Amino acid sequence: MSTSSAPVTIRANAISKVYGDFVAVHGLSFEVRKGTVAAFLGPNGAGKSTTMKMLTGYLAPSSGTVELLGKDPGSSESRIALARRLGYLPENGPLYLDMTPRELLEFFGEVRKLGDIDKAIERVVEQCAIREVLHKPIGKLSKGFRQRVGMAQALLSDPDVLILDEPTSGLDPLQIREVRGLIRELGQQKTILLSTHILQEVEAVADTVIMIHEGRLVFDGSVAELRDGRSLESRFYELAGAPEAEADEQADDQADEEDS
Amino acid sequence: MGIDWTVTRAIARRELGSYLGNPAGYVFLTLFIAATGAGAFLQAGFFARNLADLALLNKVMPAILMLFVPAVTMNVWAEERRRGTDELLLTMPVRDVEVVLGKYLGALGVYTIGLGFALAHVAVLARLGDPDVGLMASTYLGYWLVGVAFVGVGLLASMFSANATVAFILGAVGCAGLVFAGTAPWASGIVGCGLIAGTATLVWITIQGSSENAGYVGVGGAVVALVMWLTGTFAAFEESFGLLGVERHFYGFGEGIVRLGDVVYFVGIAVVVLYVCTFMLGRRHW
Repeated sequence: MSTSSAPVTIRANAISKVYGDFVAVHGLSFEVRKGTVAAFLGPNGAGKSTTMKMLTGYLAPSSGTVELLGKDPGSSESRIALARRLGYLPENGPLYLDMTPRELLEFFGEVRKLGDIDKAIERVVEQCAIREVLHKPIGKLSKGFRQRVGMAQALLSDPDVLILDEPTSGLDPLQIREVRGLIRELGQQKTILLSTHILQEVEAVADTVIMIHEGRLVFDGSVAELRDGRSLESRFYELAGAPEAEADEQADDQADEEDS
Repeated sequence: MGIDWTVTRAIARRELGSYLGNPAGYVFLTLFIAATGAGAFLQAGFFARNLADLALLNKVMPAILMLFVPAVTMNVWAEERRRGTDELLLTMPVRDVEVVLGKYLGALGVYTIGLGFALAHVAVLARLGDPDVGLMASTYLGYWLVGVAFVGVGLLASMFSANATVAFILGAVGCAGLVFAGTAPWASGIVGCGLIAGTATLVWITIQGSSENAGYVGVGGAVVALVMWLTGTFAAFEESFGLLGVERHFYGFGEGIVRLGDVVYFVGIAVVVLYVCTFMLGRRHW
């Protein structure tokens, strides 16, 4: 867990993203300090993935600025150097389905110009428990294994910063527990920003919570502050602006999802 | 900062492996050999000419390539975008130009392999007669150079859509423009209009920093070009754009003549479209 004196690793300064008439993200500002696991919380369509794409430098903000380790990840000068220190798991864990996990990791190791690719692969294979599927085509793997291969890809360069877009999506409860354990372990040294809409996940792994709704920041603080003496569900629905009746229904859905 | 060839090579190898690891790749290669074989030997007059050359194939080769090459390149970007892997690749420590070059060289590698198999036609000619080795070498160099240009055009087309079919059609239309320019005044005129519209759109996007209203600018550019052409404001409109036609530059290779200007033409097209591809890829940073 970080302290408030730890340096800021990720900073969004009033970032917005506009697509034609649609504003996906409205003037979002927040910070994530070194050694923190920050949960990026919000209902589906809140703008979490768009924000993460801007943080990685994949998309440029329409306005505002992003700083990753003190530099702009979108600028041509700093982009390459920052990308070496960043591990990113995009939404739905996209992978080359015709490759085996081993081939995929070798490819990204080569693209990342890692010194000892075999050693790096060995490390992430252990961390993500993918040895049994290492030589099977990714297209034939279950969603859970694909997600773990995606995590292995993100961890391959042993990055300082990890940005994970719904890392437990598609995993079974056992796998979810393992990934959460891995995130907690990695969070001791690294800065991690993970998006989720699962409240249990927030409680299980996060030091701080950044919640957005309809592209706007609605909460930024610790899990205890978010709870504010009530259940996380009720606070979530309150901040997401869900009407009472609908909120009860969604609470049931949420519970079902967490149980599954 | 120069190009990191380690990265480019890794991407090219992945592209090549992806194509050759897919049964559809072999179907396309087989169709290519069959189509070029038919173009070389099954056209009327091949045996009556009694010449061991590929003159008949040369007449139809650009048309074959305008369909074959976009079939090779249609998935290069479309598949990445459809699966979302472009997000993964473009957040790696790689420069846009390295990604574009890697993808280009991978696709060109597939085409080169196809052309390598098509060398079987020379073996057939050698069986039937005594083909001129120099002529064969320049002819195949010509085929390869047409591919150098068309692979670039196909790659650019693949960037415009996540749908492979749309990417194929766009690529085939782009290559057809080069094939038909110079064959007839009307064809040169249409190619000229398309080129002016495309250039106006790109200049607009560059100046504005966004693609907002770019469609209107493209249509406006096409209308202006059409007026220039049809009213004769620019008298040499058809002749000028006719110079861009592949036939004019490919013809010499089939005759055993390798002109530097023709080589520069094909390589120049590839350089221009690869620059545009890199520019398009960089737009996500705006």
